[in-house]
Amino acid sequence: MAYFVDRTVKMTWWERLYLPAIIKGMYITSRHFFINLFGFVPFFLGQKKEREIFTLYYPEEMAPIPVAYRGRPVLAINENNLPNCVACGLCEAACPAYCIDIIPGENSGKQNEVERWPKEFTIDYAVCIFCGNCEEACPEEAIFMSDDYEIPMLDRKEMKFNLEQLSVPIEKLKDRVEFTRKMYGKWNY
Amino acid sequence: MILELTITLVKILFIIGLTVGFFAPVLTWVERKQSAIMQDRVGANRADIMGFTALGLFHAIADAIKMFTKEDFVPQGANRFLHTLSPIIAVIPAILTFAVVPFGGQYELWGTHVNLVISDLDVGLLFVFAIASIATYGYVIAGWASNNNWSLLGSMRTASQMISYEVTMGLTIIGVLMVYGSMKLTEIGAAQEDFLSWGFFMQPLGFFMFLAASIAENKRIPFDAPEAESELVAGYFTEYSGLKFGMFFMAEFIEMVTIGAIVTILFFGAWHIPFLSAATILSWLDFLGANGANLVLMLIHIAVFFAKVIFFIWFQMTIRWTLPRFRYDQIMKLGWKILLPLSLANILVTGLVILAVH
Repeated sequence: MAYFVDRTVKMTWWERLYLPAIIKGMYITSRHFFINLFGFVPFFLGQKKEREIFTLYYPEEMAPIPVAYRGRPVLAINENNLPNCVACGLCEAACPAYCIDIIPGENSGKQNEVERWPKEFTIDYAVCIFCGNCEEACPEEAIFMSDDYEIPMLDRKEMKFNLEQLSVPIEKLKDRVEFTRKMYGKWNY
Repeated sequence: MILELTITLVKILFIIGLTVGFFAPVLTWVERKQSAIMQDRVGANRADIMGFTALGLFHAIADAIKMFTKEDFVPQGANRFLHTLSPIIAVIPAILTFAVVPFGGQYELWGTHVNLVISDLDVGLLFVFAIASIATYGYVIAGWASNNNWSLLGSMRTASQMISYEVTMGLTIIGVLMVYGSMKLTEIGAAQEDFLSWGFFMQPLGFFMFLAASIAENKRIPFDAPEAESELVAGYFTEYSGLKFGMFFMAEFIEMVTIGAIVTILFFGAWHIPFLSAATILSWLDFLGANGANLVLMLIHIAVFFAKVIFFIWFQMTIRWTLPRFRYDQIMKLGWKILLPLSLANILVTGLVILAVH
């Protein structure tokens, strides 16, 4: 239904002068200008001062990532320089996007060798939806969502990461390990 | 003779170097950075030389290189000659007005009389307006020669806007001329040695009207109907690229400096420091000898003058990034229905006050 907007708002004499409103606006913008000039530019020059604005110089400065953040999934490498992964295939099964591809290797009876390990472990980040189901499904604390979100590439084929590219030492994932233990109740089986 | 020629050449080089070589490129950076800082953003900071960014100052160099290497595009059906000529007509007057703009007083150095203005014309103020209005031709021809509807609309708007605001501008400065009784910019500047005789206190209404009209002349944002990004793509320079576009751009920034300089001379005490006369500074600098003291005084005055100019450039930028733009009919209404009667009333009141004082 058509209706009419009442545009006959009467402005007072003071408002019709415009100049006070302009000066008020200029006061606001120049206040921002001076606060940022003295609070932000010195920060960029290296002085650690309480920062006044929250814009980040992105590639140089990274925003602090909360531990619950789901970045790209990575494989944890333990103290013996081996992946925690036992190639059970649970993550592969849990993955709703079918981006994980595992070829398992099995102990052929030798001593000093792990029972099962992934011969090949591929995650296609072009397919991955960063849901975190693989991390939840993993019984061995082998796969974790890291805080790394910088994975765009020029070629889609390069986004298939192999075992070596996926490996991250477990020390770097400590916070996330703690988080998953609390979150998914691991070690409470 | 040779000495006078040398002094004039030095002054010309100083002014050209300062406006074209320093202000024009740096202001492109200042505009981006200041708008960013005012809006809580970061602003231009990516261009670097060997990983050293200098707060993004190298963007000026990068822009210059970009403009030099871009294709110089002339649209089909355009008038090639006029298309090339119009940016030149637009940029030359902007630089030329500095011929009569004094950037300091008059000094005696080693027996030579130094007057810090390139050409001390008796009709200096008229010269500024005469030359500045030539720039209108540049914009109109640019729109016509581009063979583009947007350009033509933009240039028509430029013509009507510049002509209507030139009337206000001319009537506003009549008040200043009545107060100081001279058209020589050097004399107007010299007459403002006393803080309370600054044009701002003599002609407060005139100052606001002059500033508004001169920003309208420069076609910057509250009055940017000729460019009107949201309506006309880019207005009269839609079809320009490369260095020709750069010349229009440069003209705008040099005009900003010109406006800053003219406002400083007419209304803000030119090269004088408030409550600090030249004689006082000279008496402080007595230990340097007559010549040395005069030289230091000259440098101080130049610095003060350009500090004021820089303040007004900052002021114009703040206005540009604070106020929303006028609609086209609002610009015309403001120019003809508000500023024109006000400037006439200003002349009347100024005349009455002068009559009452004398």
